[in-house]
Amino acid sequence: MAIERRLYAKEDRSPAKQTGGVDYTFLILVLLLLAVGLTMLYSASFAQSQYDTGYTSSTKYLYKQAVCAILGLICMWIFSKIPAKQWFRWAWPLYFASIGLLLSVLVVGQSVNGARRWINIAGIQFQPSEIAKFAMIVLFARLTRAFGSSAKDFRHGVLGFSLALLGILVPLALEKHLSAIMLIGMVGVTMMFVAGTSPKWLGAGALAAVLFVGIYVSFMGYAGDRVTAWLHPESDPSDTGYQILQSLYAIGSGGPFGLGFGKSRQKYLYLPFQYNDYIFAVICEELGLVGALLIIALFAAVIIRGYWIALRAADRFSTVLAAGLTTLIAVQTALNLGVVTNLLPSTGIALPFFSYGGTALAVNLGEMGILLSISRQRHSTKEQEDLP
Amino acid sequence: MKKASNRKKEHIRVRGDTGQHQRIMAVMAALGLAAFIPTAIRLYSLMISDHEYYANLALMNQTRTTSVTANRGIIYDRNMNILACSRSVENVYLNPHELRQSKADVPQIADTLGQILDLDPVWIQEQAADTSMRYKQIAARVDTDTGARIRAYINENKIAGIHLEPSSQRYYPYQSLGAQVIGFTNASNTGSEGVEAAYDSYLSGKTGSVITTKGNNEMDMPYSYENYVSSVPGCDVILTLDTTVQACLEKQMQAAIERYDVQNGAFGLVMNAKTGEILAMATLGSYDPNAYLEICDPEALAQTEQLKQSYLQYIEGTDQYRQGLKAYQEAVTAARLKQWRNRVLSDGYEPGSTFKVLTMAAALDSGAITLDTPFHCSGAEQIPGRAQLLHCWRSTGHGAQKTPQALQNSCNLAFAHIALKMGGDTFYDYIQRFGILEKTGVDLAGESKGIFFDKALVTDTDKWGTASLTSGSFGQTFKITPLQLVRAISAVVNGGNLMEPYLVSEVVDAQGKTVLKQEPTVVRQVISEATSKTMCTLLEGVVTEGTAKNASVAGFSIGGKTGTSEKIDVFDENGQRVLDKIVSFVGIAPMDDPEYIILVALDTPSRETGIYISGGVMAAPTVGAVMADVLPYLGVEQHFSEEELQGKSVVLSDMTGKTREEAKKELESQSLSYQAVGEGNTVTGQIPAAGQTVPGGSKVILYFGEEPEERLVAMPDLLGMTRQQASDTAGQLGIYILVKGNTSLEPSVTVAAQSVAPGTMIPVGTTVTLEFIDTKAAA
Repeated sequence: MAIERRLYAKEDRSPAKQTGGVDYTFLILVLLLLAVGLTMLYSASFAQSQYDTGYTSSTKYLYKQAVCAILGLICMWIFSKIPAKQWFRWAWPLYFASIGLLLSVLVVGQSVNGARRWINIAGIQFQPSEIAKFAMIVLFARLTRAFGSSAKDFRHGVLGFSLALLGILVPLALEKHLSAIMLIGMVGVTMMFVAGTSPKWLGAGALAAVLFVGIYVSFMGYAGDRVTAWLHPESDPSDTGYQILQSLYAIGSGGPFGLGFGKSRQKYLYLPFQYNDYIFAVICEELGLVGALLIIALFAAVIIRGYWIALRAADRFSTVLAAGLTTLIAVQTALNLGVVTNLLPSTGIALPFFSYGGTALAVNLGEMGILLSISRQRHSTKEQEDLP
Repeated sequence: MKKASNRKKEHIRVRGDTGQHQRIMAVMAALGLAAFIPTAIRLYSLMISDHEYYANLALMNQTRTTSVTANRGIIYDRNMNILACSRSVENVYLNPHELRQSKADVPQIADTLGQILDLDPVWIQEQAADTSMRYKQIAARVDTDTGARIRAYINENKIAGIHLEPSSQRYYPYQSLGAQVIGFTNASNTGSEGVEAAYDSYLSGKTGSVITTKGNNEMDMPYSYENYVSSVPGCDVILTLDTTVQACLEKQMQAAIERYDVQNGAFGLVMNAKTGEILAMATLGSYDPNAYLEICDPEALAQTEQLKQSYLQYIEGTDQYRQGLKAYQEAVTAARLKQWRNRVLSDGYEPGSTFKVLTMAAALDSGAITLDTPFHCSGAEQIPGRAQLLHCWRSTGHGAQKTPQALQNSCNLAFAHIALKMGGDTFYDYIQRFGILEKTGVDLAGESKGIFFDKALVTDTDKWGTASLTSGSFGQTFKITPLQLVRAISAVVNGGNLMEPYLVSEVVDAQGKTVLKQEPTVVRQVISEATSKTMCTLLEGVVTEGTAKNASVAGFSIGGKTGTSEKIDVFDENGQRVLDKIVSFVGIAPMDDPEYIILVALDTPSRETGIYISGGVMAAPTVGAVMADVLPYLGVEQHFSEEELQGKSVVLSDMTGKTREEAKKELESQSLSYQAVGEGNTVTGQIPAAGQTVPGGSKVILYFGEEPEERLVAMPDLLGMTRQQASDTAGQLGIYILVKGNTSLEPSVTVAAQSVAPGTMIPVGTTVTLEFIDTKAAA
């Protein structure tokens, strides 16, 4: 705590000033993404909602998602008001709390689709892994700030991060939550790279990760099936290849301009998870290549603007934190699109702001709030980053 | 410039970690741009390059094809009478899932539907409860009126989940008439048996389809794709069959079955001897193709019913129950297959003496015998190369005969000698050319070709003896189909040409365009025209002089050959050969230019009736009766001899008001005479009344100024009387007789049937039809 106080004491004395205004460009881009996301969710979940409710409601999923979006926007607004340094202070408690939550899932968690990843607190069901991702990013940011320019040596640049990473990955591995492990691993490595860890260590780490994933997947015992389903989905069109084939049918039938908004046919229960993990396939079917590329461009804009905020952040902690949060969105988006288009084997990764899932949306919006908060305190002089 | 750049560099360095800036830029480029490039390329390839491919796959994935049944073609007879057509019916089904979704009042719907369809409402509720299904048929092939009532009920109460689908049902207006020839369609509307099966590809047409997009789990889609492929209606098939001829044939066969108590059904065939066109083809006991599963034979039905009762007495699931059920099902299947079977072309039988026609034609044509070749029959003879003594059917023998008498007498010994004269090679060669060893090629499925001797058995008499050759010469110890026989005999009488028999003359599509036309096809010439002419004369002799006198019909020159064969391959439960017989007759008319050939065979007439079992007594009059009905209808010209004119029937016209001279003149023109009662000048009454049929040569009573007396007499029993006795007895009572059947005055020709039962009170002047049969006539 002493270091921390010292660090920010200096900063407080620095000429850097909070400009007060958030980055409106980023805000508008995020809100635009959210609006498009909710609209497409309505279309994609329409048939499923009707079916589930016995044709009484077409807005079952939209309604829940909209409520969470409002909660998420409130969260975003609050987080945008909290100075980034507060997260510096909360980093460790948040980290340990999230490890606690992850472990508690193993005991009291609820099973959805065969995996225990959900927990119920005060009537709200959510995935602690969503919190863990965030906690890990905050802690990594803090570690880069603490270790400063000594990041290039192994002890500071690798060991600390690795141990911190391990603390989260072990309980996730026990949950068999492969997609979260991959996501956190990739975000972590990107943050270490940003923080200045030598690429050789990262290369070695990446190799280790690949080995780990290889062993882990074969340990889980369905590696062969997944690889076959990925490379040759047509070999078992009714079972292992079903999901991805239905996704490709949806995407492919979209053509250049799509079937029109709301006119997807695959969403009529042919394409499973059409309103969460595979929502992008419905987008392609309805809006065509043009619409899909526009939405990708919107994602790209948000991501680039996120890194732009990181570049202009007031201090290294804020920079790395902003870069980490942006990376989280970027990696999720890239992995989701890769899976939906069958460039990557299938893993359960949602498309941020689009896929149905209340916690994820609220957490994502909260994270955007932090980015907005960081964008408030952009540096104004060269001394700003000059910290020990 | 340089200074400024230095300043900038310095500025960055001052910020400390210059690398971090670059690294973030790199990450920005990688994750903000580069990461999306593979996705964008992939999307381009999926959505643009392979768009068609995936769009098609998706469409196949999402579409449901509902087939639209094509209208099945009509089967017509040669006069365009409809033998088989389809009528619209509807299937009723419910969608349990939809009923549940629409929260329909299922018990109430079940009650109403149960009432309309005569079904158990509880059962309907059970069907509706199975929500895992989307299609539960509750009634099949209901008529359109019932369908309309259900539709009205659905619309009135806005019920979702009860549906009607159009279907069609085959309808056979003539019911059992020609059933085995026409066949039927099974539950899936595919032809089985008969023309329905053989011409199924023409009749069925092409099924159309409605393709619509449907969500998985049958969800309706608001934006759907629809494509309609119209069905192609089936072609109509026009048969050579003549319903009138078919009806006459079946009627006379049925009458024969009843009269002679025939145990095992009958089969018959009417064919055009010149062209091979089949005019009628019948197998009795038959069935009704409208209800082809129902067993029509009362005996078989009783037997299956008994089997059913016997297994039902056991508890379900026990071995006895299962065995009993199996036995019942097998019996039902056997009974059905039996009634569906077209024996005319599917089953071989021993032709017996009818086959002698072919033997004789071969012998005459090959020159082995002439009309003057003498034969002697002593009743039994030891033939060289044959172990068994050869018996003639008449144990006292036929004495000295020449070729025509051999045929007229149907003398087995003479035919054995004919075959020996001809030799096995010639005999076998002719048999082969008569098509006995091959299928006839008739356009119906299920034809068999019988079982004939191996060539060596007939030809290599040194090795195998003469038993096969001699037995074969008179049609025993082998089997051929009735159709093979009739076709071969057609060749004998039509100038020598073996024809390909056929049943379908034309297939016409829905636009009226002829798709298929069948013309008479000559397979080969078997005998010379001269031999054929000779054979015609000889065959006519069989009817005028020989065993087939009962087949004669006044006004027509008829030829033919009788046959009586024992079933050599049927044994009773003790392993003894049963003496069941098939009696048959092949008749041909008119003999100056043979056009029609008719076969009737009666399988196992009962010995209980006391009637002598032979083709001449039983089958010949049956064929004669068919000819009497059919030949005038077919437009065969009639030529009456003086004697025949006497027997020819006349329809009396109204004589009232005519003068004596006028009446006399008119009656004489019809070979009638009259007895006058009263003194008036004009006719005031007559017996029999106008419109009545009386035999030619009858005496009519005309009243001049007096009222005709109206008196009833009791019909006498004329059965067994000769023609003379019968006409005397009837004449005394004032009853007119009309002679049918055998017109001969020989004492062996007696009354076999009378149209009015003995003891019935009838007015004087009534005409009674008597049927005469030569009781001595034999094979």
